[in-house]
Amino acid sequence: MAVASPSSDMFDEIVMAEERFHGEGYQEGYAEGSHVGVVEGRRYGSLHGAKIGSEIGSYLGFALTWQCLLQNCTDEKNSKKIRALDSLIGMIQKFPYEDPTYDKLQEDLEKIRGKFKQVCSVLNIQSDFRISTERSSLTF
Amino acid sequence: GGARGRGVSPGPVPGGGHHAGVSPGQGWSCRAVLGEGHQRTVRRVAWSPCGSYLASASFDATTCIWKKQEDGFECVTTLEGHENEVKSVAWAPSGTLLATCSRDKSVWVWEVDEEEEYECVSVLNSHTQDVKHVVWHPNQELLASASYDDTVKLYHEEEDDWVCCATLEGHESTVWSVAFDRSGERLASCSDDKTVRIWRQYKPGNEEGVACSGTDPTWKCVCNLSGYHSRTIYDVAWCHLTGALATACGDDAIRVFEESASSEPQQPTFSLAAHVPRAHSQDVNCVAWNPKEPGLLASCSDDGDIAFWRYQRPEVC
Repeated sequence: MAVASPSSDMFDEIVMAEERFHGEGYQEGYAEGSHVGVVEGRRYGSLHGAKIGSEIGSYLGFALTWQCLLQNCTDEKNSKKIRALDSLIGMIQKFPYEDPTYDKLQEDLEKIRGKFKQVCSVLNIQSDFRISTERSSLTF
Repeated sequence: GGARGRGVSPGPVPGGGHHAGVSPGQGWSCRAVLGEGHQRTVRRVAWSPCGSYLASASFDATTCIWKKQEDGFECVTTLEGHENEVKSVAWAPSGTLLATCSRDKSVWVWEVDEEEEYECVSVLNSHTQDVKHVVWHPNQELLASASYDDTVKLYHEEEDDWVCCATLEGHESTVWSVAFDRSGERLASCSDDKTVRIWRQYKPGNEEGVACSGTDPTWKCVCNLSGYHSRTIYDVAWCHLTGALATACGDDAIRVFEESASSEPQQPTFSLAAHVPRAHSQDVNCVAWNPKEPGLLASCSDDGDIAFWRYQRPEVC
């Protein structure tokens, strides 16, 4: 450390000690906090992402099954159902799963959820698949 | 008896028998009581354009469709799907579309065919909170919704599906109701922020130079009626015969506004033409203009009454 004069430097160290420790402590804390934050964030992100994946996955499985069940039905009534199923499948397949920064992520998710509800209505199925009356068995 | 007056629909009104504001001899009598349809509060009723059907929206999460028969009404179908309280229902002028909205934040669009079969054509999750009201444009297939999220949203059909094509922001609190004027060029919204706002549609290529995105019109707020209401405004009704604007307020009053003669299209001005401070003894929840008789207004309130009013535009307005 450059020395202006021996006496002022010694007092400098003592007087500025608290501020210096404060600063060093802050730096250490910030670094540790950032690290813990990233770890927690990653854990939260993968949990949340898995939830969404699970939800959309269940919609896709449901839609593909019904598409299969109705594939041989060609009457007008069923053609509307098939069109709705195709639309839902299309929306799910178009969704950019690899891009969590996609700006319309929430908007598109809500559109998929809305479409799923409409498909259930058209198929005459209760969208929350209630098995018991206590709570919905469909939680993501 | 005991039913709280929660909604009125302009049509052959099965009213409650209250005679306020109507000349003697012209009473209103109850023609039918539809008691077997709902398990909870009936929040809104709406007549179909043809007058043969009545839709009722309920807190039991269902919407019943009633068909008028010789000797009463029969429930022909029950629309299910909303997760919780249905707050409003409205028929499109074409008579083939119906919209419902709910505390589950969604707006559902239903289509009815010649065989009286109802089918859900879209579930719209655009709002982020409870949706209080839905209303159709008078001559286009355009739907408006009002929400606890402080916005009004507009929807139309695009490529076989319904989408939100505009969001009207400006109110500082829950938007309780919306009403289109006769032409559908303007929309009035009323809110918990004690204001009524008038919005105007600007189509792409408009001469006022208002920017539009793509082929969708932009809606801009052109008038803000503030300082007239002392509490939440629960309903607004725009008379298609006279252009008068009526409001239902939490301060128990009914007010009527008229557009000034000097009003400009881009900056309309409205003035308070009538004010009934104690129209009811509790919150006024709904107001509705009679579609055939100018100046005839119905209102209902938490006090359990349905009232009928005769309004005449004052000389100087």
